[in-house]
Amino acid sequence: MITEEILYLPVSELSKRIESKKLSPVELTKAYLDRSEKLGPKLNAYAKLLPDIALEQAQAAEKEIHRGHYRGPLHGIPYAAKDLLAVKGIPCTWGAKPFANQVFDYDARVVEHLHRVGAILLGKAAMIELAGGMGYRFANASLQDASKNPWNTSCWTCGSSSGSAAIVGAALAAFAIGTETWGSIICPSAYCGISGLRPTYGRVSRYGAMALSYSMDKIGPLARSAEDCARVFAAIAGHDFSDRSTLPIDKAAFTYSASLELAAKPPRIGLLTNAWKKIDGSVHKVYSAAEKVLRKYSQTHSALLPEGPWEDAAAVIISVEGSAAFRELIRSGEVADLTDPLGQLAGYVNEQIGGADYVRALQVREILQRKMMELFDTYDVLVSPSQPIPATTLETNLETDVVYADPLGAIGNLCGLPALSVPCGFTDKNLPVGLHFMARAENDAAVIQAARAFQQHTDWHRHRPKLV
Amino acid sequence: MSTDQKPQSRREFARRAALLSLAAPIAAPLAAAAPLPTGSVSMAADDQQLPKLPPNFPKLSEQSRAEVEARYESIVKQYSGRFNDQQKAELRRLSFLAQPALDNLRAYTIHNGDSPALYLKPLVEREKKPAKPASPSPAAAAKKP
Repeated sequence: MITEEILYLPVSELSKRIESKKLSPVELTKAYLDRSEKLGPKLNAYAKLLPDIALEQAQAAEKEIHRGHYRGPLHGIPYAAKDLLAVKGIPCTWGAKPFANQVFDYDARVVEHLHRVGAILLGKAAMIELAGGMGYRFANASLQDASKNPWNTSCWTCGSSSGSAAIVGAALAAFAIGTETWGSIICPSAYCGISGLRPTYGRVSRYGAMALSYSMDKIGPLARSAEDCARVFAAIAGHDFSDRSTLPIDKAAFTYSASLELAAKPPRIGLLTNAWKKIDGSVHKVYSAAEKVLRKYSQTHSALLPEGPWEDAAAVIISVEGSAAFRELIRSGEVADLTDPLGQLAGYVNEQIGGADYVRALQVREILQRKMMELFDTYDVLVSPSQPIPATTLETNLETDVVYADPLGAIGNLCGLPALSVPCGFTDKNLPVGLHFMARAENDAAVIQAARAFQQHTDWHRHRPKLV
Repeated sequence: MSTDQKPQSRREFARRAALLSLAAPIAAPLAAAAPLPTGSVSMAADDQQLPKLPPNFPKLSEQSRAEVEARYESIVKQYSGRFNDQQKAELRRLSFLAQPALDNLRAYTIHNGDSPALYLKPLVEREKKPAKPASPSPAAAAKKP
């Protein structure tokens, strides 16, 4: 009998049981499938469950492990992939009606990598249509409707990796793959009380993934702990000849060893004082407590993000690249089939932005990269709340009701910096609060180390929502 | 290397940043930016000469406003017959909302020698501290075209 407690175990624990043959990958997969069938529709978590593929892969994994061929910490571990990652022969909707019947005849590189290490694909996770690339005002801007937050089903998961976060938060799978162009891994992780890693741009191949913003899209894991994120990241990172944006072989690959990481020198932590202009009172209370924990075991100092038109630059780049990526959708008029009224029209406006403005945004990006490089000469990791507010309700109008500046997300994504959000407590209304770690480009290990150290001093990542 | 044209106050920064406040959770493109209730760019609109705009539109300079109207007209012309009146009104509003970000970017001092990050390899992949590009003297560079 596989209990809920087991389904909520991190990959690091599940893998030990699987390796020692105390836990059957087939039984584990069946249990996650059962739970996904029961709770998935209530949360609008999946675009599509893939029980046949999952059981076939689980049986293969079990046979291999019984024969003594254990592939590593993801062997026999079930996961979900955001529905913008191609899986051969399976609909890949990009969360959008115009692509509802789209099918690819190959696997995305990330899916391939995870198959190679023996992970089991349970299904495709729901997402915001086109990963929000055409803009959206409401949580239901998805072919699968609004994903509901496992901590409070009247609240949203945040987007665009909405289903991925719901799946991990509700223990419908051990981990999930999401993507981030601007906030789409960090925000859902924070809202849903899970750990999410946005890797350095170029460390994970985007071959077979929907393109929204060619110079800002990144793929990363959502999981139960920073350590789990590290283990998944190690499996999916690497240079890819099919994706020219990936870093060279020696820079892209990531190897993870918990013992080596813990033996490393403690990071110099900068506590950002201007990441958010205003922080919700209950979030601030939780964050202050998290800061105290950080101060107990590491050297911390106050730090400031540079000021400048970073959000403007990021928005111009995403707008121009997004309108180029979906040019045919816009020009054909099929964009009108998107769910969200904003998404139906914003592409036309974005298409009009001139080349000179786009290049200027790229120049600003280069300047910002240098400023951040200098900042990381002083600090190894910058820390702040992941979001200034807890999860919003499903009905919230994101254009008019949620108004806050986000230099943190703009800077991190504009510069392709790695970041990791981990849960650091709960508001008075029992909604999770995320703690955000960000480091220099390519220093993904630093955010993992810092987040893992925090999780060794706290147990927020082990809290579970009460789901009926 | 570029520097800001003039130091920004926290208030100015926050006001400009508010434009794109929506972008964080949803990776919103420009047109999805939250409306600005008051002026957000350095050049004030001349309300005497131009027709009044709805209060939730950002105030823009005459030049920027003309640019917005031209972009909006271009959309309507290019896709004639595709939009109803309500959609046209929304397209015009979104075109206005996109402009302050463009104005902000243009106001940020960039020198001729500042290269664009044409491809986003992390900076360490390129050159950490490259030689300063040949650029005009600071005094000349501070003048925007």
